[in-house]
Amino acid sequence: MLDYFKTDWSAMTTSDWVGLIITVAVFFGMLITFWRALRPSKRKELEEEKYKILDDD
Amino acid sequence: MDTTVKPQYNDGVVKYLTVGAIVFLVLGTFLGTFAASQLAWPALNFDIAEITFARLRVMHTNTVIFAFGGMTLMATAFYTVQRTNGVKLWSNGMAWVTAILFTIGLLLVVVTISLGMTTGKEYHEQEWPLAIAIALVWTLYTLNFVMTIAARNKETHPNVYVSNWFFLGMMIAITYLYVVNGLAIPVSLFRSYSLFGGVQDAMIQWWWGHNAVGFFLTAGFLGIMYYFVPKQAQRPIYSYRLSVIHFWALMFGYVWLGAHHLQYTALPDWTGSLGAVISLAMIIPSWGGALNGMLTLSGAWDRLRTDYILRFLIIALAFYAMATFEGPVMAAKTVNALSHYTDWTVGHVHSGALGWVAMVSIGALYHMVMKMWNTEMYSMKLINFHFWLATIGTVFYIVAMWVSGIMQGLMWRAYDEYGTLAYTFAESVASMHPYYVMRVVGGVLFFSGAVVMLYNVIMTIRTANARQEVGTTANA
Repeated sequence: MLDYFKTDWSAMTTSDWVGLIITVAVFFGMLITFWRALRPSKRKELEEEKYKILDDD
Repeated sequence: MDTTVKPQYNDGVVKYLTVGAIVFLVLGTFLGTFAASQLAWPALNFDIAEITFARLRVMHTNTVIFAFGGMTLMATAFYTVQRTNGVKLWSNGMAWVTAILFTIGLLLVVVTISLGMTTGKEYHEQEWPLAIAIALVWTLYTLNFVMTIAARNKETHPNVYVSNWFFLGMMIAITYLYVVNGLAIPVSLFRSYSLFGGVQDAMIQWWWGHNAVGFFLTAGFLGIMYYFVPKQAQRPIYSYRLSVIHFWALMFGYVWLGAHHLQYTALPDWTGSLGAVISLAMIIPSWGGALNGMLTLSGAWDRLRTDYILRFLIIALAFYAMATFEGPVMAAKTVNALSHYTDWTVGHVHSGALGWVAMVSIGALYHMVMKMWNTEMYSMKLINFHFWLATIGTVFYIVAMWVSGIMQGLMWRAYDEYGTLAYTFAESVASMHPYYVMRVVGGVLFFSGAVVMLYNVIMTIRTANARQEVGTTANA
């Protein structure tokens, strides 16, 4: 199992690093987004948005 | 006395795009049904180069995806951005220029493809002059949408409703995906070669190809869903927070999936595995979104009995859930080994295209026609008839392709006791015939529904003024 996850960091190309950084950034981006959307203190404020379109015309 | 002042919007261009979309739906489904008929009865190509299957199929995909789908997205985006932000379009003139040029561009695409002018890149067949023109028109569309949101009154509309997020995400993603995949070296007015070569070209192609599905045919139409389902149901969306999660998960996740189209190719193995893993992970937000739409009807499911437009919107969500489960399963390598290059893929695409994209579009288009012409539909019974034609047609189509595709996959990899192939390719083609006929039946049903819709909409528009006058007289 350890062999499977072993990484030869010295063999990483520029493209590999760009890809790795984007992947990690996306992961944290999703975590932050989910936390912001799901925190209980924002519930009322966010859910109020859904009523606004019902009488827009 | 009614003292409320109804806001005035720029609906002229939306009306044009709405009718245009329905006309292209009729044309596109006709081309598709004709192409399907040629597969069942090849003599139907009549030895005319311009309508042989190879060209007809691409004319069909461009008409339904870009002409019908694109005009529906433009109509609904221009319609909803005004209403959700309480302002007219930033530039009505630019919207008209966008709509007219888009129509002309798409007609030229269909004509040039029938003449054999193609890049050969799936869903990006337009040669470079048309591709540049379409990209510029798309940029005008995006600019107008963004500026309309920016022009809203921040005090009365401090936040931007979630349907606009989906539309904007679609516009931005499609712009860079389309431009990067279209990078090419022109060698003549209607001939060019891709800037990329070999496996890189394949990867870029499917990075675009799958995201045309993910953003153009999913994110944009989810924008439609998040506006028109609550409006038609006259109930707020089940959970606004879930819609926010749905949006960001889609934006972050979808761009990784393209590699699942290239399993067992020269593409590095890990890339295909990554595409498959993220595809499976995408079931969660996709189903979250589908449930969010369907649960909007909680406590009011009985409305499906009488509201035929709502039926279109809700069954679209059922097909969306089904297709977004089937797709990831087909991306998994074990299933892909059987399904790839078979009709199962064609069936999957149409379960999304007919069941999800077309159904949700049809629901939204009917809704907009009634609102913009300020009248009831000419015939509600015809909407119900259309619903059943479309639903039964879709089911016929996808069931035929499931059976045909799985049979193909099994026949292609069957061996006899000597280790040689049990069937020739021609034998597998011959075995497909009954299912190709069944697909034609499904296509004819769906096409007939589109014709019924066009008739119903034309009659609604023609009789709108008369029925408004009758209503006014009755109320007086």
